[in-house]
Amino acid sequence: MKVTIKEVEYIAKLANLKLTEKEAEKMADEFSGILTHFDNIKKENLDGIQMYSFDDESSKLRDDKVIEFENKEELFRNVKDMSKTSIKIPKVVE
Amino acid sequence: MNLERFTIDSIKQGLMSKQFSDVELLTEYFKRINKYDMHIKSFITLCEEESLKKAKEVDEKIAKGEKLGFLEGVPVSIKDNICTNTIKTTCASKMLNDFIPPYDASVVKKLKESGAVIVGKTNMDEFAMGSSTENSSFFKTKNPWDIDRVPGGSSGGAASSTAAGFVPLAYGSDTGGSIRQPASFCGVVGIKPTYGLVSRYGLIAFGSSLDQIGPLAGTVKDCALGLEAVQGSDTKDSTSIKEEYCINYLNTIEDGIKGLKIGIPKEFLSEDLNKEIKSKVSESIKALEKLGVEIEEFSLPITETGLSAYYIVSSAEASSNLGRYDGVRYGYRTDKFEDYKELILKTRTEGFGDEAKRRIMIGTYVLSSGYYDAYYKKAMIYRQKVKKLFKDAFSKYDVIVSPTSPILPFKIGEKTNNPLDMYLADTLTVNVNLAGIPALSMPCGFSKSKLPIGIQFMADHFNEEKIFRTAYTLEQELKVDNVPQMKLEVK
Repeated sequence: MKVTIKEVEYIAKLANLKLTEKEAEKMADEFSGILTHFDNIKKENLDGIQMYSFDDESSKLRDDKVIEFENKEELFRNVKDMSKTSIKIPKVVE
Repeated sequence: MNLERFTIDSIKQGLMSKQFSDVELLTEYFKRINKYDMHIKSFITLCEEESLKKAKEVDEKIAKGEKLGFLEGVPVSIKDNICTNTIKTTCASKMLNDFIPPYDASVVKKLKESGAVIVGKTNMDEFAMGSSTENSSFFKTKNPWDIDRVPGGSSGGAASSTAAGFVPLAYGSDTGGSIRQPASFCGVVGIKPTYGLVSRYGLIAFGSSLDQIGPLAGTVKDCALGLEAVQGSDTKDSTSIKEEYCINYLNTIEDGIKGLKIGIPKEFLSEDLNKEIKSKVSESIKALEKLGVEIEEFSLPITETGLSAYYIVSSAEASSNLGRYDGVRYGYRTDKFEDYKELILKTRTEGFGDEAKRRIMIGTYVLSSGYYDAYYKKAMIYRQKVKKLFKDAFSKYDVIVSPTSPILPFKIGEKTNNPLDMYLADTLTVNVNLAGIPALSMPCGFSKSKLPIGIQFMADHFNEEKIFRTAYTLEQELKVDNVPQMKLEVK
């Protein structure tokens, strides 16, 4: 299946990625090859099978209990910009 | 000390009989790492100081006659996508280059409780996406059997650290073959356990419904011990098994395989398969037959479409899982930005490598409006078919055998320009993840050029015991010498 550069650019926008023109061109090419392989799936007869037909059991849920995290300071160790106990980010609402 | 041939048992015996102390043992391992890892490049981070400190504690425990843990004093390496409290965990990505987790993954917690000594964090393909460890943002890991070749991936650092004798036991993760394929390429044993047998809490997510942590080691017994140390239920992972699980694989590992039924799926031994791999795997199958198993060929026509379904499902989950990397709470953040949108766009564009971007893009595409039904939904339904076909097969056979990889370890750079070609290298491993069943790879011989060849054993959910027993029996029969002669220039 052929993929256009325009389609690649649209997907990049959805994925929050910016591609250069050259990158988009290369990716369109690669996508076409990969999607051709994906077409295998269209040849399969999947009648009568549902998305979760043969799944054994559902996930286990734990009690919704508050567990105190001891090292609060360590939780924020990886934050780039902080003000007291809040993470600083650029203005979101005008 | 002959470190490259050390097993967990020989370490335990050496420590208990005071042949060596744990500090001496760790010092020797670090000597070896410092001598050879500049060529192999298994490790992103080494924890020499902390390891020696921990080893000292082990020695004190032994001196006092205290009760010892399951892996007391045993050096282990951890793949760099498994969170380690206070030790940098990068996922081999610029995105997490400076990320220091505030907690231990459940697997790491269990290892620490069992007395294991974490010597370092191993290299991998960025976010575990790849089959050669060439997608690491930092450097490429080499295959200890031939340093011009890749160690496989994505757990290439884990596999090479075991093969090179840097550690007797390594932990990796497997989403579509990422433990088994590098184990095969490096001539070591590696198992992807049943989905749910090992907690994923603290494993940085790639494809959550496929990911599973597992051990790699030089021998089948050590691989089994490595799994025993980390398996079991965990309330922090809702997909982990519900009840307590304490199976001791070593109790039955030497019981033999007489009477087992083994299935050979003919599509897994197709014409595209490398001839030397085919011949070594066929020899192993004959050896198994001699050992008393019943062999039967059958049809399991899932390799081609299974690969497509795997790349659709795993990329879809990756695009969602990697959505969290936005430069806000942790990880890489771009320098200059005007507003919130630009912060996210620039952070992601600068922070992710080419393969991670490609998978995010594929995933976004197959989930996008108009393509969801055609790709994602169909792939998920096909996944159910794969599950059913495996279930049917396991009603007839105890174990299914195939090669692990259709190709021998390839040259560094050989496949980097053709992503689809690289994806095709995963044909024989990905269906196991779609079905959630366990599978192990072990060395079964070498090519004429002395490159390791791996054989894969698959079994029904939670039937690891049968896999280990079969693999151990074959290992004793074949006696493959899987310690590489590293002819490296040592400075």
